[in-house]
Amino acid sequence: MGQGMNHLPGELAGELFVWSMIVGIGVATFLLRFAPIALLARLELPAWLTQALRYVPPAVMAAIIAPPLFFADGTPTIDANLPRIAAATLAAAVAWRTRSTLWTIVVGMLALWGLQALLA
Amino acid sequence: MPQDASARAEFIVGVRAFAPLSMSIIPFGVVCGAAASTAGMTPLQASAMSWVIFAGSAQIAATQLFASGAPLLVILATAAIVNLRFLMYATSLATRFRNQNRRWQALIAYLLTDQAFGLTVVHHSQHPERQADLRWFYLGVAGATWLSWQLATIAGILLGSLVPASWSLDFIVPLTFIAMVVPLLDDRAMRLAAASGALASVLLVLPLKLNLIGAALIGVAVGVAAERLWVRA
Repeated sequence: MGQGMNHLPGELAGELFVWSMIVGIGVATFLLRFAPIALLARLELPAWLTQALRYVPPAVMAAIIAPPLFFADGTPTIDANLPRIAAATLAAAVAWRTRSTLWTIVVGMLALWGLQALLA
Repeated sequence: MPQDASARAEFIVGVRAFAPLSMSIIPFGVVCGAAASTAGMTPLQASAMSWVIFAGSAQIAATQLFASGAPLLVILATAAIVNLRFLMYATSLATRFRNQNRRWQALIAYLLTDQAFGLTVVHHSQHPERQADLRWFYLGVAGATWLSWQLATIAGILLGSLVPASWSLDFIVPLTFIAMVVPLLDDRAMRLAAASGALASVLLVLPLKLNLIGAALIGVAVGVAAERLWVRA
């Protein structure tokens, strides 16, 4: 919980925390979407920023994908998530070949269920 | 629905273009709603995530950080980094929508997603003669995305607790990201950015759940450095 909210009753502090989070992210997200459209008739992004922004999606998405595959209860591990790692690898191959989100999800889920059933 | 026939036709073309994507957006939305609900948000808060923020990747990242007790500022900063890509999309759309009034621009901005951006750019390059009605195509894609997302999240909030954990439906989240990231890996610099982002996210030990931010910055730095080195070489 937020440090500055400790003096509030627990439930109210929790509510305040969640709504601050939702509204804060909502406003920031809207500004990121709106500012270029509203201003860019006159303004251009500097070249270095355009170049750096190109790498945000691969870096962010890879950083979201990887930890749950290699962590269990906060410690790095391989064994615990072997079915997930194998299913994710297969799904990546399907994504590369088909470029289809649907097939990636279908094959990935079926692979995970199959491996979990085999190892159970 | 617009009154003008050609505008209406483009709106419908947009909704149709979205249809195949609904098969991937709906499961992702259900998982997002279920995750927010399981993390301890009330149904109103969990659904507000989807209509106030309306950005799946940031919603899921924020939900995971919230569940693990991360500080508010770290959650806000992480979500902003995850959503930095909208700066890039909006910049690219700005030239196509520069003649719209403020109200349209605000609506276009609020509804901006990976899907709406991708489909609109492709549609515009295939049919440049329909530029005048491009906003209606965009509204068809983005409006259908918005509606599917809201309904899917609500379904996730209502049904999430009924689905047993042994079904591992949370795995849809990494699968969705895999489907989004793999097509980006066509050149070496992009592959290096992804690989170093993934490696850093696993190996980096940072306090206050700053890992995602740290890993993202490292991935971007490696990508930029690789591009500069290879361009010079």
